[in-house]
This record gives sequence, C-alpha cells and structure tokens, in this order.
Amino acid sequence: MTNSIAEIEFADVILVSGSNTTVAHPQVARRIYDAVDRGAKLIVIDPRSTRIARLADIHLQLESGSDIPLLNGMMRCILDANLQDHDFMAAQTENYQSLHELLMAVDLDEVAATTGVAKSLIQQAAQLYAKADLSSICYCLGVTQHVSGTHNVQSYANLAMLTGHIARPSTGVNPLRGQNNVQGACDMGGLPNVYPGYQAVTDEAVRAKFEQAWGVPLSNETGRPLLQMTHGGDTDNGLSAMLIVGENPMLSDPGLKHVEATLKSLDFLAVADLFLTETAQLADVVFPAASFAEKTGTVTNSERRVQLMNQAIEPLGECKTDSEIIMELSQRMGYPMAYESSAAVMEEICSLTPLYGGMHHDRLLDSWGLQWPCFDRHHPGTNYLHKGEFTRGRGCFSPAEPIDSAEYSDNDYPFVLITGRSYHHYHTGTMTRRCAMLNREHSLPWLEMHPDDAQRLGLSFHDRVVVASRRGQCSFHLCITDSVKSGDLYCDFHFHEAPVNDLTLTAADPIANCPEFKRCAVQVSKETL
Amino acid sequence: MSHTALLDKENLIPFLQHVCRQQRVVAPVKNLYGDTLFCVIDDPTMVEIDLVNQPQNSIKSFLFPQIETLSHYRLERNAETGHCDYQFTATQPEPVPTLYFAVRSCDMNAVAYFDTIFNPKTGADPYYQQRRQGATFITLACNQPAAVNCFCDKTQTGPFLSQGFDVQLTDIGESYYAVTGEHNPSNRTNLLMQFSSFFHTVTAADEQKHEQVLQQTQPLFGLDVDVEHCVEVLKTSTPSASLLKQLAVRCQGCAGCAFVCPTCSCFTISDQRLSEQHGERVRRWDACTFSGFTQMAGHHNPVDGESQRMTKRFLHKLKHDVALYDQVSCVGCGRCVDMCFGGVDIVRFIRGVCAQEGDNQVDDQRN
Repeated sequence: MTNSIAEIEFADVILVSGSNTTVAHPQVARRIYDAVDRGAKLIVIDPRSTRIARLADIHLQLESGSDIPLLNGMMRCILDANLQDHDFMAAQTENYQSLHELLMAVDLDEVAATTGVAKSLIQQAAQLYAKADLSSICYCLGVTQHVSGTHNVQSYANLAMLTGHIARPSTGVNPLRGQNNVQGACDMGGLPNVYPGYQAVTDEAVRAKFEQAWGVPLSNETGRPLLQMTHGGDTDNGLSAMLIVGENPMLSDPGLKHVEATLKSLDFLAVADLFLTETAQLADVVFPAASFAEKTGTVTNSERRVQLMNQAIEPLGECKTDSEIIMELSQRMGYPMAYESSAAVMEEICSLTPLYGGMHHDRLLDSWGLQWPCFDRHHPGTNYLHKGEFTRGRGCFSPAEPIDSAEYSDNDYPFVLITGRSYHHYHTGTMTRRCAMLNREHSLPWLEMHPDDAQRLGLSFHDRVVVASRRGQCSFHLCITDSVKSGDLYCDFHFHEAPVNDLTLTAADPIANCPEFKRCAVQVSKETL
Repeated sequence: MSHTALLDKENLIPFLQHVCRQQRVVAPVKNLYGDTLFCVIDDPTMVEIDLVNQPQNSIKSFLFPQIETLSHYRLERNAETGHCDYQFTATQPEPVPTLYFAVRSCDMNAVAYFDTIFNPKTGADPYYQQRRQGATFITLACNQPAAVNCFCDKTQTGPFLSQGFDVQLTDIGESYYAVTGEHNPSNRTNLLMQFSSFFHTVTAADEQKHEQVLQQTQPLFGLDVDVEHCVEVLKTSTPSASLLKQLAVRCQGCAGCAFVCPTCSCFTISDQRLSEQHGERVRRWDACTFSGFTQMAGHHNPVDGESQRMTKRFLHKLKHDVALYDQVSCVGCGRCVDMCFGGVDIVRFIRGVCAQEGDNQVDDQRN
C-alpha cells in the first residue's frame, strides 16, 4: 500500500476494486465504514454485489476481467471534463503523451458494451474520483488474478497519477495484501527475481553484496515462478526436487491435475506444514512445523508495517520452527547456519536490506511496529510512499490496451465462474477447517447463482449441483443470491471436497505469472445420484 | 455483620504469598508484553500484579471455561442384542479452592448473574457449581478507573459493591480499606480473621479517608451513556430498523464481544470422536452473533446473519433480562467496546436507542 490503513478513514472518495473487503480485510473495511460515516463517497468496481458494494454510492458491476477498458473509459471521461491534474503530471510524471493518445481513441459506447457498465455510471464515478481532494484506491485479487493482472494494476496507477491522487496522506494506490505476512514474504525475497528488499538477482552489485555476506557464490539467473515449478511435469525442464513450506498447491494452484503429476514425478519432495495437507500427503519427508503461537519473529502487513510477534507457548510435540528446520537442513547440506535467535536473523536483514535497515527487534518491542522504508536505527518509518518524488524518480504512465480474457462463456459452457475466499476459512483450510466453530459457521462448499439463472435451470436452494469446465468437474451446494449477476457464478476454493482448481485455467499473467483465478467458463447441472 | 480492617500496601504481596500456599490464587498479572490478564499465580513475587489496569479478560473462563469436557462416551457392543450402545460417563471438575483477587465490581456482578442463571431452582449446572463452590472473592473497588470505556456507574454494578464479595478492598493511599461482605452465602470463615496477622485495625482517620474516596469517585466516570433511559425506551418500543441496520452492516460476526463479555454465557455442545470406540462430549462458548447459532437443519436460518445478528445480544442484556431479573445483564465493563473493530458496541446501541427516542422515530410495538 502506498498509504497507511488508518489514512483510509480520512479519504474523501474511496475506490474499491476487486476486493471483498468486509470478508477478506475486515480491518480495512472498518476504516471504509468510518470514512463513509464521515461523509466520504464510495465507488466499488466488482462483478459481484458484495457487502462493500452494497454500501457504495456507485457500484460499477463490470464483466469479470474488463478492468482495462473500464479504467480507460473512466480516464477518458476525466479528460473530457478536463479534470486531470496538469501540475502534478508536469512535475512528477513522464510518458503521459502515450496515455493521452490511447485515451483519445477510446469509444465510451464500446466501453459500456464490453464492461457491461452504463456509460453514465462510468462518467459519474470518474468525476467523483477526479474532483475530490483525497481519493484513495484499494484493490485486491479481483484486479490481479487475471491474465491482464499487471496491466490492470498499471491502469489504476495511471488513474491515480492522471489526477494527482497519490503521494499524499489518504490518497494513493493500495493493494490489500493477504493474511498477516504475505507482504513480509515478498519483502524477504520470496519471489523468483529478487533478494530481500526487492534487490534484483541480476544486479551485479547486489549479488556481490550477498555473496560477501554469505560467503558463497550466487546465481545471477532469475528463478522460476510458481506455476513453472508446480506445472513443470516430468519434462526436461521439470524440477527434480522441491521443498514446500506452508503452502498447499494440491488445492490452491490452478490445474490440479498438472500439479499432482508434477509433484509425483519429483525424485524427492519435502513439505513443512502444521498438518498433513493434500500436498504433504505426497511428500517423501514431512517436517512438522511450529505455528505462529510457538515462535518469536516479525510479520509485515499490507501497510508495510513490521510487527514483532512473541512466542506464547512452547512448540507442541516434535514440531520445530521454520528457522530451525531451514538451519538444520542447511547444516546437513554443507552450509552451517546458526542464528541464535530471530533477533539475530533480523540483524542480518537490517544490514543487507535497505528498506528494513532500521527494523531491529529492540525497536519493535512494545509498539505497533515500524513501516518500511526504514533505512536506519534512527529512521521513524514511512506512513505513505512517494512523498515529493516517486521512488523511481518520475512516475511513468504505462497505457494499457484491453487484453482478452483466457476464456469466455459460450453455448457449451454458458457461465463465468469467479473464485475467491470466504470469511470463516483461510485458503485451503489447513488450519481453519480443523476448527469446529469455523466449520459450523461454514461447512459446505457453496456455489452462488443468480435467482434468474436458478429459476431457468429449475434449481432450488441447497440442491447439489455439478459444475464442469473443459478441465474437470466438482460438486457444490447451491446458494441462490443476487450477489452475483446473471451469467456469473461464485465459489470459494477452501474445500477439498470441491477442489475448484480442477476447473480453473492454467493461463496466467505473462509478467507477474499470477493465474487467472477470477474467470473460467463452466456449465452447471443438477447432480443425479 | 461486616468487619473492617486495614491492609497496608507493603503487606499485600506477603499476604498473597501466604494465601498461595493454601489455595489456588487468581489475580491480574501484567505479562512481559504489557497485557494485563487474570491468571493463576503460584508466587506473587515472581509476577507483576497489576491493580491499575482493567484486566483484558474477566474471570468468566475460570468458572465457565471456554472449552470443557462434559462427559466421555464409549461404544460398547451389547452381547445379547448385538447392538452397539453408547455408555456415557460424566466428568465433573473437582472443586479447587480458589481465591479470586482484585476482581472489579463489574466482574463480581457478573458472577452474581452467573449464579442466577446457572443455579436455577431446577436444572442447575453442576459443572459451574463445582467450580463456584470453592471460590472466594477479594474485590477491588474501582475508585480510580483506568479503563476509558467502562460505565458501571450507569449499570448500577459499581464502582463500589454492597454485597456479593467476601472482602472488598478500597485503595485509600498507603493502604487498602478492607470490608467483609455482609451476607456471605457460603458462610465461609471470615478472611480477615483467618489472615489477621496481615491486617490491622481501622482508625478514625482511615474511615475519613475512605469516606473521601467514596465521594471523590463518581465524577471520574465520564462516559455519556444513559442505560436507564435506554431500558425504559426498550420496555415499550423496539429499536428502529435504521439503527439496527447501521450497526449490523458493521458487524463482522467475529463474536469478540461475546467472548470478552463477563456475562455472555451461551454455549454449544458437540461430540468429539477420539477413536472408533470412544470420544468426549464437550461444550464450548458460543455466541448469538454467529450464524451457526440459529442455523437449522437444511441450512435454513430464521435469523438473517447480516442484518439481525447483533440485535439479540443487545436486547438480551438490556430488555429480556430486565424483564426476567429486573436488572440489566450488561455490567458496564466496557470490554466489548474496546474489542469491537467495527464499532458495533453496546454503548453505540444505547446511545442510538436514546437518540431515536429523542427523534421520536420509535417503531411502536403495537404497530
């Protein structure tokens, strides 16, 4: 996030896109409710009529995956009303001309037809967003989990820069990151192309720094993105061994059949997890890992805030913390690693990662933590990014032409299936589906369908239905609700009984490699016993 | 007949040390991370007893645990019939003599409420009773409330108690003014006599200080929440749909409010299989803000999760219990106000009800 979570409350206009905020980020939703109570206007871009969408002043219920034409349409409306921030663009940005040319070619009637959103609503939303002093964008996986994900995000950045709605408190572009530490995992180099702190593996100076610190030669080649690893199969390009830590690709990755074939073809698979997940069941060796309550360390949340979490209980049974597992493995693989504590690991992070330069454990004690960038021990942390100047210097407009989705509905597969997360479960349910109370609240895989479609197909609430795509099929219980529009379907991916990633596409965004989880074409029929 | 005595502050830890040798002691302890929680202490010199901050938990979980095994079952084959029968064996807790130390007036009132609902004339709850049986309470009057969201003065549950405790302590500066409860129902040995070596006689000057403290306390409770007025309004009218909707839309159904509430007592019972042949029947805290609380067979639900789930909790405390017991069952501790990240707290509800009455927008029940 370029802003802090608490700043959202003081925005004048909040544009939420592809985020079921109340369900996935309740702490952010709370700030949005507070903002609305204070008089802020809310625009929601989402194919579903979520709870936050029902609170909105303007809901742009777009066709899933049509973000680029919608945003180009909004920006065209801003140009037509001359609401762009000329001063900001002149002082802080570059490459505007190419965006301008693209926008001048936009036909708003065509946009309305492609996105399914009325032209007047697009105009209203554009004016509302552009005219306010403090407009803030919050987006989530509904924007990124498309083949056009990277360009979708760039389009939101274009919108913010066009109107100067960035680089100040309560106005910016805010991706809402998952769970308590997805941001931290990325910050620490859990990506194929960077060392901790987004330092490129291909940068010679960076590589030399890490080689010196670790005393070993390092590769200058970018690693593989997730799907190349889990879909590699038994090919020449396939991997021969994997260590999977706290991830359950046998339920969470698209194309589960490919994942299963790949994991089974490995010479060796080791999995570290709390429980024997679907993935761990395929492993040669399983390391029982300690949970958050059994270890001390930091987590970094969506607003770049690094917080210290203290161990509450001793590790249960034979489990070990992730760092113990990694250190012992490293030892046996010929690289002795003996950090005394997580604080000692953090000292190394501070010394090698400029963004985390001042994140010493002793500074994080007894506080709500610090937000990066935090360059040294005396740095107070950073509430919002790009103050005075963008990190790269000038903000670069990256105009995006509409990109076709990987699959559209047709006569054989007439519905568009959108997948997502529910309130009571987390991802593949490794933890939450083992909790009796959460299971009582949400025990069945539901498929949400619009009442008109249900009536047309003669289906009733709670009917067992089979959903089939070109790749596979699974069964759900039917929930009839107008939170999806006619022609759309929605389900969560938490349930091993209904492994929805048997249905989804293996197509992914070519730049970020994020899979197209938010739309695939399916058919629905009543289950016959 | 109540007795008074003085406990010098320097005698407090030696006194607790002495009690710890004889029975289990539960007291508010500030942990290494700065959180104050009621917990069992073995040695008061090894922990930081915190008598300033309101503990984040109440003592509810010691008398009514969050998860409790009610019975074990075993599946046994009947040799004659060939059928399998369930054999249940109740697992009642052993009474553990426990001194609950520095219980605030609000929390003590909550125990009194539990005594009422878990000890009805018929169908008493034996699990609660077993735990309650060996309990002694030394309460701490809230003459310097540190919590910002509490309002026991408005729910008539504090800051001073007149009954229900074994000993009530009031901080009068250098020492605690101790008074024994007048109608000790368990007829237990007078604690002041039992531990007389730690206490000394109250002087006229101490009495005067105590009087002063009583008089100075009331203005310290500044939260503007008119519980009495709200109760009166709810007697004749229902909360407006707009108020309920405004609150409901912000409720995330996390049940944090119910779990920190010292008087929320709903539970659910489920059987946990431990093997093919045996298992246990457990009860765990439940909350009316969960959809599953009212869910029926076939996944039908008479309560709409999004719009109605918190209504029951508020009305239970401010209307239904008033009708049953002539007393609100909110003790004004303010924990739910601190807890709720949606801002759907009982203070907001009470203010909303009072405001709607002022706006003359009440939906009259007769309509």
